Amino acid sequence: MPLDTSTYGLALLRVDGRRWNELRRIHGQIRTQAAADGSSYLEMGHTKVMCVVTGPSEPGPRRGGAAGGASGGAGSGGQSKDAEVVVNIVIAGFSSVDRKRRGRGDKRTLEMQFTLSNTLAATLHTHLFPHSQINISLHVLSQDGSLLAALINAATLACVDAGIPMTDYVTACTAGSTSTYAANDEGADPLLDLNHQEEQELPGLTVATLGESDKVVALVCESRVQISRLEGMLAVGVDGCKQVREILDQVIKAQGRKMILEGTVDKGTGLNDMDLD
Amino acid sequence: MPREAEPSLNEKQFVLQALHDSVRLDGRELEQYRPLELTFGDQYGVADVTLGKTRVLAKASAELTVPYADRPLDGIFNIATELSPMTSPAFEVNRPTETEVLISRLLEKTVRRSGALDTESLCLVAGQKCWSIRVDVHVLSHDGNLIDAACFAVVAALRHFRKPDTSMEGGVLTVYTPAEREPVPLSWLHSPFCVTWSFFGEEGDVAVLDATWMEEQVRSGSCTISLNKHGEICQIAKLGGVPVEAVSLLQCTNVALVKAKDMSSKLDRWLAEDARRRDKGGLLAELSAENDRVPDM
Amino acid sequence: MPITILSPKPSHPPPSPHDISDSDSDLSSDDGGGGAHLDFASLGLPSHQKSTHPSNNPLFTNLVTPGTLITPDPQWMRGHGTYIPPSTTNITSSLAGITTRTNKLISVSPLRARYTPEVGDLVVGRILEVQAKRWRVDINSIQLASLPLSAINLPGGILRKRTETDELQIRTFFAEGDLVVAEVQQLFQDGGAILHTRSLKYGKLRNGLFVALSGQGGGSGVVRSRRQVWTMEGQNGGGKMDVILGVNGYVWISKHVEQVAKELEQKHMGITNMEENVSAGVYSSQNDFIDSATMREIARLRNVVTALVENGCRVDEDMVIRGYAEACEMAMLGETGAEDIYLGGQRGEELTRTLRN
Repeated sequence: MPLDTSTYGLALLRVDGRRWNELRRIHGQIRTQAAADGSSYLEMGHTKVMCVVTGPSEPGPRRGGAAGGASGGAGSGGQSKDAEVVVNIVIAGFSSVDRKRRGRGDKRTLEMQFTLSNTLAATLHTHLFPHSQINISLHVLSQDGSLLAALINAATLACVDAGIPMTDYVTACTAGSTSTYAANDEGADPLLDLNHQEEQELPGLTVATLGESDKVVALVCESRVQISRLEGMLAVGVDGCKQVREILDQVIKAQGRKMILEGTVDKGTGLNDMDLD
Repeated sequence: MPREAEPSLNEKQFVLQALHDSVRLDGRELEQYRPLELTFGDQYGVADVTLGKTRVLAKASAELTVPYADRPLDGIFNIATELSPMTSPAFEVNRPTETEVLISRLLEKTVRRSGALDTESLCLVAGQKCWSIRVDVHVLSHDGNLIDAACFAVVAALRHFRKPDTSMEGGVLTVYTPAEREPVPLSWLHSPFCVTWSFFGEEGDVAVLDATWMEEQVRSGSCTISLNKHGEICQIAKLGGVPVEAVSLLQCTNVALVKAKDMSSKLDRWLAEDARRRDKGGLLAELSAENDRVPDM
Repeated sequence: MPITILSPKPSHPPPSPHDISDSDSDLSSDDGGGGAHLDFASLGLPSHQKSTHPSNNPLFTNLVTPGTLITPDPQWMRGHGTYIPPSTTNITSSLAGITTRTNKLISVSPLRARYTPEVGDLVVGRILEVQAKRWRVDINSIQLASLPLSAINLPGGILRKRTETDELQIRTFFAEGDLVVAEVQQLFQDGGAILHTRSLKYGKLRNGLFVALSGQGGGSGVVRSRRQVWTMEGQNGGGKMDVILGVNGYVWISKHVEQVAKELEQKHMGITNMEENVSAGVYSSQNDFIDSATMREIARLRNVVTALVENGCRVDEDMVIRGYAEACEMAMLGETGAEDIYLGGQRGEELTRTLRN
């Protein structure tokens, strides 16, 4: 069923009742898996992703011959001077409507693994952990658009939880445009955070930025769109990322506050506690 | 698997320092492509592209098959990429490396998903007969920027390709041999081209087009933008790597458009030249009794 | 067109300011459960309202997250968990954690991270690999630690150099899967550790139970403290128990065996000669007889330790001993008496709540 975008003007509502500049509900949790070094669970609307981080640890033996192809790895092997970031994505068969089973060799999944591993390798301080490996496994439980963005956000949360030093949060979100490519509507408006239906019908892109800056770590656009619309979409996407960063930051801070109150960690000494003797 | 030898630390530093001062090892400008050459084969649909020392061969072929059950009105269109040990010992047969997967994904997104080829026109009898078009991409020599070269080769091969003419009369499908009827070109909608930017340094502030293999080994990030000459983006892939300011990415896209237009006009010219070479004046000229032989004087 | 991005709407109305100020006290009694459950309302607050946020609480001023600017002042030096972005003097946090200042050095200690070995740490480890002249030991750190053959007490009565025979029978000392208690002797540049067991306190672990705490969400788990090893009296008819809290978050609880002391008495040897008197028995893989009452108390102690971790308490000698006493009392109050060693779920919460007060 084609998506009716006639109501998608600036003042009006989208198919799920959001405005053009509204994110879906984002719910994040960290420390969800007891046995992992770091873990997270993230919902962006109905897209639900779990992430588990193991490491940095001694690189284990490569499992089977297919491991080289099945896992996106940045950095060169276990014996390099930087830690290797190995990403593994499992998309559950029940996660989407059509119950399609994706094999491990699926090129789209491989590409996402590669993207994630390179995105994280750019921000994690991998040079601090020579000869080691950071394993990130992601499980997609439910898909409703913006999958890559949700994966990046979940992986960031889990890496923060695992206590791996990083330059800043990498946060991602999607942006789109209100009319299809064919309509060639010059007055098309940008849209924030596409759901599955919008992703199918409208041109869109996924953008991941570093912290609060405008620096783009990853930019993936898979649909045909006029070059003139790119600027608007990118601007909306980058701003959305900042919003997402704020939300993720609150998730981490809440955990930190809880730990301070419980007395698990010290309250620390800051610059203002200048009681030097 | 023999590993590709990495450049030494000093080598890397040298290349990076030079790039920061806008000097490239082969004396090019930062935004200058290496000489792009295209040769068509004797057959239709064979394109041999060289970009400096990078060389990619693409061959398009057509076959009559049954359409997929879930898309009875569409023909089949596939792009197969092959990186053989001949290119570099680091590539193995039957085991796709990361590079290979990425190239084939990019080509697929650029050419297939952007709808460059009208797959509906490949359908002959709904649900029963259709053309299956397949492009095989072989990398013969790898000196960086495989993606741009491969994409150019695929587009060139497909635009050069002629499939046998067919006709439907009273429910009977006839496929004509080239001798009976001149083969017909594919129904082509637009020509997308890949332009790959490479970013260098920790800040990603040096951006370079058409990186050589050496530069690719040193780079800290890349971004492939696919566009056609009408200024439509078909795909952007910046798969991680060094963070780059959003504004400079927009500038990169604009420069990429110029390059894509440039490639587009080059391809048009070469296609026209090739058509002129093949055109001997139609059937009449072939039937003529005259020949090239010159009587001895 | 100016761009404003709306933040997502919380699923229920945001709490009134009164609720926000209350939420601190709520959190302390928060069950925690299996992870950081967050009230979404507190997340949905737009950034400009941050000033009214509970983060104003002076307790939380030193809480930082990755990318937080700590100070732009170049007089400070950056320590662990911080970095300085190129061409600036801004000390920025690279971790989610708590800032600590040691004179002019600013560092961030993470809320949770893998164990980083330091010289002198008492660790419990598992032998993963046996090589020609050394063992590779998992101590839950970034890399496997190594235990050289020359760093263990070799049997034979006196301190002696290792011989080729020792090398050939390296597996008779420690084999794959064995648990050892050892001390970190030396560190490599890249963070790898070298262990030693050249003391009677160290060596193979027998007669007990292994518990891994790390990665279970309790901050750094075991804290470095005065005493990591102690013997305690078992209640309800159990014998004496030894507890070893490895700094790396691995814990060993076992039946106390007086064997070594007895041997010494028999031979009338001074404490100084103790280390020379290593018998092959130290490397035995056989457990001694353990009566079921002691086993039950060992299991109870283990449950105390896991309950402490699950509910975010520090694990140290004081907490474990108090926790054990409390657990015994709780069990006696129950219907099944001493047999009841279950301390999961609500009972664990109850236990830690009593300990905190």
